[in-house]
Amino acid sequence: MIRILFFGPVADRVQQREMQIEFVDGMTLHDVIVHLGMQHPGAFSIVSFIAVNQNQVHDKQMALHDNDEIAFMAKFSGG
Amino acid sequence: MSEPVRIQQADFSQDAEIAALKSSSKRIGGIATFLGCARDFSEGRDVSEISFEAYGSMALAEMNKLRNEAIAKFSLLDARIVHRVTTVRAGDNIVFIAAAAEHRAAAFDACRWLIDELKQRVPIWKKEITPQGEAWVTPHP
Repeated sequence: MIRILFFGPVADRVQQREMQIEFVDGMTLHDVIVHLGMQHPGAFSIVSFIAVNQNQVHDKQMALHDNDEIAFMAKFSGG
Repeated sequence: MSEPVRIQQADFSQDAEIAALKSSSKRIGGIATFLGCARDFSEGRDVSEISFEAYGSMALAEMNKLRNEAIAKFSLLDARIVHRVTTVRAGDNIVFIAAAAEHRAAAFDACRWLIDELKQRVPIWKKEITPQGEAWVTPHP
């Protein structure tokens, strides 16, 4: 399974903080973005950062592994 | 002694953080601090409360990276970063940063760099609660 996390304004738009999707061999981050982006276009329009296993990633073609944790995040506003 | 980098609900004591810094080295010649606190007015609206949310494990890891980078980049003797994640009211403390160096220039530069980088890199979000409703804050430069 792939664990998906949403925070702050993205979580509000998805109306969910966490979900799981089935891992499939060969799955990439791009596959997940396309899959969830179609279901939640409003939320994904404000996603500015993506982290896989708590590390920010820029390569959307990144291969995923079973039990990965992906976070979709809007611009940060701490401090 | 408390950890030098923390995310917590509770308020913090600036005196305790500075005392912890000073106890780490007798070579410290200057400590620069930044205290971020909650305002009661933002973007033309009264603000009654500010609610924080964090991706806790990543935020803490990123804050530790920031501390390590600042120590290396500015030759600091020590540094501390504490961020509250809770709901605060006007005047309440939000974030505290302290940078200790042999001389003031490095301490000032590191303190400014740390808060600027924290705002860019640490996954924390704030929501302002106003009489008109709630709104997530768009980052300020």
